[in-house]
Amino acid sequence: MMTRADRFMLAGAIGLLIWLYASLWGSHLAGESARLRVGNQPSVDVPLNENHRYTLSGPRGDSIIEVSQGRIRFIESPCQGKQCIHSGWLQRDGEFTACIPNRISITVRGRDPRFDTINF
Amino acid sequence: MKPPRSRLLTSGLLLCVVLGGGCSPADNRLQQFQILALGTLIDISLWDVETGQADRVRQELEQQLHQWHHDWHGWQPGPLRDINQALANNQPARLSAEQQQLFNQAILLASRSDHLFNPAIGQLVALWGFHDDAPAGPPPAQAARQQLVQANPRMTDLVIDNNQLRSTNPAVQLDFGAFAKGVAIDRAIDYLKTQGIQHAIVNAGGDLRAIGRHGERLWRIGIRHPRQAGVVAALETQGDESVFTSGDYERNYQYEGQRYHHILDPGTGTPAHGALSVTVIHNEAATADAAATALFVAGPQHWRRIARQMGIELAMLIDEQLTVYMTPAMAQRLTLEQELKTVISE
Repeated sequence: MMTRADRFMLAGAIGLLIWLYASLWGSHLAGESARLRVGNQPSVDVPLNENHRYTLSGPRGDSIIEVSQGRIRFIESPCQGKQCIHSGWLQRDGEFTACIPNRISITVRGRDPRFDTINF
Repeated sequence: MKPPRSRLLTSGLLLCVVLGGGCSPADNRLQQFQILALGTLIDISLWDVETGQADRVRQELEQQLHQWHHDWHGWQPGPLRDINQALANNQPARLSAEQQQLFNQAILLASRSDHLFNPAIGQLVALWGFHDDAPAGPPPAQAARQQLVQANPRMTDLVIDNNQLRSTNPAVQLDFGAFAKGVAIDRAIDYLKTQGIQHAIVNAGGDLRAIGRHGERLWRIGIRHPRQAGVVAALETQGDESVFTSGDYERNYQYEGQRYHHILDPGTGTPAHGALSVTVIHNEAATADAAATALFVAGPQHWRRIARQMGIELAMLIDEQLTVYMTPAMAQRLTLEQELKTVISE
C-alpha cells in the first residue's frame, strides 16, 4: 500500500521525468546559445533567446552579429567575399560560420553539442 | 504512522534513477583553449587533464607554435625567407637536420601528387596576392602567369647534398602554406603525447588531428558545408587521425564579379576549378594537408588517381554541382547531413 510520502515522491519523480525529457530531448536540434570567438581571445557564449546585436572587433574592423528569435547571423563584416553574411541565419545545434579574415566565428551550441569541433 | 523505511527508500531510488537517467554531471573533464598562431585560430581540446597541466601545456604550445610560424614562413623574416633569398640568388642554403627531414618529406609528397601539391610555386602565389593579409584584385596578367607556369618550378628541382640545399631551377620559391600547418599540428600532438596526454584535438583554422576519445565516446567532428552554413557530413575519429579540408571558400577575393580563391593549379597558373572542397583523413596531419590540396587541384577527373598515388584511402571531394565523390572507405566513415548525389569511386 502506498503511503502519502510514496505518492508524493512518485508524483515528483514523474513530473521531473517529463520536465527533463522536454528540456533535454524535445529541442535537441535547437541551439540554445552561440559561442563567439574573436582571434585568440577567450570565447564568449551568448544566449539565443535574448534578441541583441553584438559588435565584435577583429583585425579587419568591426563585425556586427544579430541574435533574434533563437537565431544568429552576421549582418556586417569588413571582409571581401561576405561569405559570413551570405551564410544567413544559424539556429541548429552545430551550425557554424566564420569571417575568417576578421578572425570571428560563430558556433551554435545546444545542451548536447553534436560536434566536439568543426573541420573546414 | 510512519511509512516503512524500505518504501521510502524505494521511492527515493526511483527518483535517483530518474535523475541519473536525465542529468549528467557538468562536463568538467574537458579543457578547451585557443591560441592565435600560424596566422589562424588554434582550438585545443583536452580530455581528462587537470587545469594546472592544461595551463602549462597551453603556454608551452603557444611558444612552440609561434616559433614554428617564424621558422616556416616563406615571406616574413625568418629561416625560410633566407632560404628563398639564397635560392633566388642561385646560392646554396644550409639546412638543419629538421629542415632536411621536412624538405625531403615535402619533395616525396609533391612527387607522389604529380606535383599538384607544389610548395615550389611561391612566386605564383605572391603574384596572385595571396601573401597579403587582405588579398584583393585585380588578378595577375596572363603573360606574367604564363611565364611562371613555363618556368615549371618543382620540388624535385631541389637538391640536398651534405646539409646544403640548392635549386636547379631559379624559379623555385618555397611556400609551405599547404604543408606547414599540418606539420605544426603533428608537432603539437607529439608534444601533448610526451606530456602523457592521450585524448586531445588540435584544430588549427579548421584542420585538425584528434587522438584518443572524449571519455566514453569517440570525438565527433562536423565537416563544414562548402556553400551553406552548417555541416555537410559528420564523422567520429578513431584512435589517432587527422582531418583536413581544402575549400575554395577559405581564402579568396572578388574582382569584377568573379571570385578567385587561393588554391592554385601549378599547370595553369590559375585557381583550380572543378571542386568546392576536398576532405582527407590520414593519421599524419602533414600528409593530409598536402593531399587535400593536391586532390583539390586534381579535381573530379583525377582526384582518385592522385589519392591512390599518395596512399590516401579516406577522401571526399564535393564538386561544383554539389555531387559528393568518396572513396569506399570514406563512405563507410561519413554520415552525410543532407541528401546529396553521391558517387563512390573505387
